[in-house]
Amino acid sequence: MGSNASIMLQQEDLQNICQQTGFTTKQVQRLYSRFKALDKRDCGFLIREDLLCIPEVNINPLGERLIDVIMEDYGENNKINFKQFIFLLAKFRGGKAKSLTTEFNTRESKLKFLFDMYDRNHDMKIDRRELLDVLKMMVGGNIHDDQIATIADHTIGELDDDGDKSITFEEFCNTLERIDADDKMSMKFLS
Amino acid sequence: MYQNKSLVILILLLGLLIHKYYCKEQTYIHNQAKPLRFHVAEFNFDHVSDVYAITLWILLGSLAKVGFHLSYRLTEKFPESCLLIILGLIVGGLLYITHLAEQKAYVLNSDTFFLFLLPPIILEAGYFMPNRPFFDNLGTILLLAIVNTLFNTVCIGLTIYGFAHTPIFGRTPFDMLSCFVFAALISAVDPVAVLATFTEIHVNDMLYIVVFGESLLNDAVSIVLYRIFDSFAKIGQQNLILMDYVLGALSFFVVSLGGVLIGIIFGVVACFTTKFTEHTPVLEPLIILVYAYLAYLTSEMVSVSGILAITFCGMVMKQYVSFNISKKSDATTEYVLKMLSSIMETIIFMFMGLSTVSDNHSWNTGFVLITILSCLVFRVIGIAIFANLANCWRLLELTRIDMLIMSYGGLRGAIAFSLALILDETKIPRKKEFVTATIAVVFFTVFIQGITIGPLVKCLNVRRKQIEEPTMSAKLTNRMMDHVMTCLEEISGSGGSNSLRDKCRNLDRNYFKRWLLRETPQEKMDIKLLQTFKKINMQSAMKVHDTSKGLVPTPSSAAFHTSTSATNLRPSSTFANFSQLLAANLPEQTVPDLMFFESQGPDHYRDDAQMHHFLDTNLYRAKPRAAIHLRSQDETAETNNESQNRFEKSYHHRNHIFISSRHDKEQTHGRKTGKTGSGATRSTSSKSASSAQPFNNSQATRHSLVSATTPKESLKVPPTSTNTHKQQQSSKPRSRSPPLSSDQPIKLLPTTKDTHPVIHPVSIVIENEEDAKMMGGVTAAEHSFPWRRSSIPDGEQATLSITAGDSANNAQTFSNRNDPNLHPGPLTSANFSGAYNKSPEYMGEFATTTKPEEHLSRPHIRDFFNNQLRPSDETQENNAEAAANDGVTRL
Repeated sequence: MGSNASIMLQQEDLQNICQQTGFTTKQVQRLYSRFKALDKRDCGFLIREDLLCIPEVNINPLGERLIDVIMEDYGENNKINFKQFIFLLAKFRGGKAKSLTTEFNTRESKLKFLFDMYDRNHDMKIDRRELLDVLKMMVGGNIHDDQIATIADHTIGELDDDGDKSITFEEFCNTLERIDADDKMSMKFLS
Repeated sequence: MYQNKSLVILILLLGLLIHKYYCKEQTYIHNQAKPLRFHVAEFNFDHVSDVYAITLWILLGSLAKVGFHLSYRLTEKFPESCLLIILGLIVGGLLYITHLAEQKAYVLNSDTFFLFLLPPIILEAGYFMPNRPFFDNLGTILLLAIVNTLFNTVCIGLTIYGFAHTPIFGRTPFDMLSCFVFAALISAVDPVAVLATFTEIHVNDMLYIVVFGESLLNDAVSIVLYRIFDSFAKIGQQNLILMDYVLGALSFFVVSLGGVLIGIIFGVVACFTTKFTEHTPVLEPLIILVYAYLAYLTSEMVSVSGILAITFCGMVMKQYVSFNISKKSDATTEYVLKMLSSIMETIIFMFMGLSTVSDNHSWNTGFVLITILSCLVFRVIGIAIFANLANCWRLLELTRIDMLIMSYGGLRGAIAFSLALILDETKIPRKKEFVTATIAVVFFTVFIQGITIGPLVKCLNVRRKQIEEPTMSAKLTNRMMDHVMTCLEEISGSGGSNSLRDKCRNLDRNYFKRWLLRETPQEKMDIKLLQTFKKINMQSAMKVHDTSKGLVPTPSSAAFHTSTSATNLRPSSTFANFSQLLAANLPEQTVPDLMFFESQGPDHYRDDAQMHHFLDTNLYRAKPRAAIHLRSQDETAETNNESQNRFEKSYHHRNHIFISSRHDKEQTHGRKTGKTGSGATRSTSSKSASSAQPFNNSQATRHSLVSATTPKESLKVPPTSTNTHKQQQSSKPRSRSPPLSSDQPIKLLPTTKDTHPVIHPVSIVIENEEDAKMMGGVTAAEHSFPWRRSSIPDGEQATLSITAGDSANNAQTFSNRNDPNLHPGPLTSANFSGAYNKSPEYMGEFATTTKPEEHLSRPHIRDFFNNQLRPSDETQENNAEAAANDGVTRL
């Protein structure tokens, strides 16, 4: 499987990707084969349905939102090709200790991804409505809207520093400083 | 301070001894008494002697602990375990001199230890085990617990056996198997000692859980090894066949997995039982404790690892039980667990010291030294090997410093000691030397390592535990990260621990929760998230309760509302003091808390108030632990006012957080129906649950207040709930209730007028109503709810501690109080912000988390004031001050 994939992938592309993202060649090849497996129609890019086919993503409360983010921020025209795919995943490569950080997998960029999960209108602010949307996804529909609204207000209150009832990226980062976002937003890529 | 305390303890002890002698004599005389006559009073010590001794032990342990913690300096330098051992040594010495030590109840025997002392500690550890870090590090923990313990046992055993051939041990033969028995019991890290030490040094979660998890799980290994070698030693070295080894290896799996299985089964059964305890909530904590203990006893009975059983039982129960049982039961369970484990730990360490003083020793310098050295060396080597091995798959790698702390934290304790005590002297002739060496190792690790590990952690700058309040944003973000990472792992095809966790969660949600919980959770509903919210909500409620103890009314209904409940709960003497403090402390932003209380219905308030008292007495100290698995003793050890302050402050600003808008509607509804004033309102609200009664008063007065307040104020409702407030406004004119507000001012007006040139009619009305409350209706409430009175000392305490901690603000308070004319004009925001700006300092490291909360109320108020209600702002603040001053004069 791996060897098959590497044939499809241009050698210099591979080198390029490895250099930029910090993945090892093997990791990239493995991801490529994964990409191929997801791409059932074999057209070189993934569409929403491809990702939604993954059962875990399908049942995940934030799955749809995540795909939104992936498709809109990392892909184009509701498609994502392999290069975009691997740059997306490069954000979540672990290993800050070994000076393996690239521009992609800094803490900042990980938090940005989280931030983008909320901020769908790209105004660099999470406002109350955006927060409410996400909360509803995460909490489910059975809770009274008022209660969710209260939670949202509370959360905004916690994060909002300058009192404009919305959360800027800086506020988001500052307040989440205590959370080990760097570790929790990393995964081990098999090689 | 400590001197005094120890003196007291000594005196107590002497009293006990004398008492004991006296009793003996008494019973002696009693037996000799010739004629059989009726005895009016009998002295029958033998009848109670054993239980009496135990109770005295518990008392002594508690007093010792209390005494130690009276001296901050002492507990700062020495771990509690050391102090307790020293105390035990002293007591042991006394008992030894008086020959009481021969009596059974006074020395540690392994049955007492394993059946009574150990289980509560382990249960508490399991129940409060931080699941997430535990399972995240499970691989490492298992590797260390199993392989590292094996490695240590083999190496230590071989080393001791090797040195037995040199002249160091005095040329006496040590046979190999007894060396290994000893190695098996000495190589296991002790959970009790680790807990006692690590909770005091506050290392980060990961490090803590790795060491502590190892110490918990290696129990299975050490028990198996111990049993294997022990029985091998009994069989005799020459009679061993291969079969024995195979069975030995097999028994490891049986013992460990069997323990886990029994624990989980009992845990599940316990959860299932609590599903049906709806009508007998008082029994809930007992059921939990009994099942856990039963799990322990059962597994001991079938000779599998009881420690593993009770640990897992606790972990399983914690997952589900708290959803089933009532809040009270939940808090009680937690509290009882902490209490039990705390006292058992105390007793264990005291017993350790006590049992050291006995005749059963045989000091062998060479042997002791070699043992200590090999323990240290192989611990370091083992950790170095296996931590590096673990790093191969760990996401977050263990650094060298981590490894150093891990190896240095390898403390030995009472388990090793008790195992040494139950060695069979006929089979292992070296028992006495083993016991001595074990004690030496335990003392060495507990004293030298235990005392130095704190400074070492500081010195090496080990990442400390982040003490965080359970903030909504943190919980939300954590959960989101989990979701995102799960998805991405699935997408990238690397089925890591995230998706495994997700699978567990799904299993949990689809099956376990369905079977074990009273209410089946809805699809995709995030219980944990809601739980966090509830917890925060509860804290806010609790804090409102606390602050309400002294919050003197600003003209806003907020303060008024709280103060009505305040009068229910506390004597008026502390009122003045604290109220001024608050008046000065409150930043400008929080003064008009109107929006909070406006939108918060009395119903809601009633609900919260129900838990107030309870939380106040039970949860308050326990709470931080619940979130971050501190042990209870830490919290008592932390006598810093800063945290107190932090809580207090942050909660002022959080006041309006626990709005449940759901109640808005009910509230408005209540208003509408209560057109004719307080009487009608009372009748509406008295339809609700029985405990509503005290709050009927508040509701009633609230109504009159609302009617009394100017329309301006009612404009200050948050824009978020405009709907309900429109309704409120419309209903206000109708609910105007003359009786309360018009009658009472007459009585009390003069005093207020004297002190205050600036009197706002609204404020006076409120004041007087509130006074009336204090004298009239509330006392009735107190009659029918005597527990309200019982919470008074708590209130006082809280108030006092805050007063003490907040001296800087106090100064300001006093200036405000003594000279109201100091601020002839309206109090500017600067006056308040002075106090406000100080808060980050008080809060220290917590400033970052709490600060945003403080800003919470800002936007509303600013908007209101700037746009429409500038004049009202000034009057408000004036009134705040007026109210504060009023508090003084009145009292």
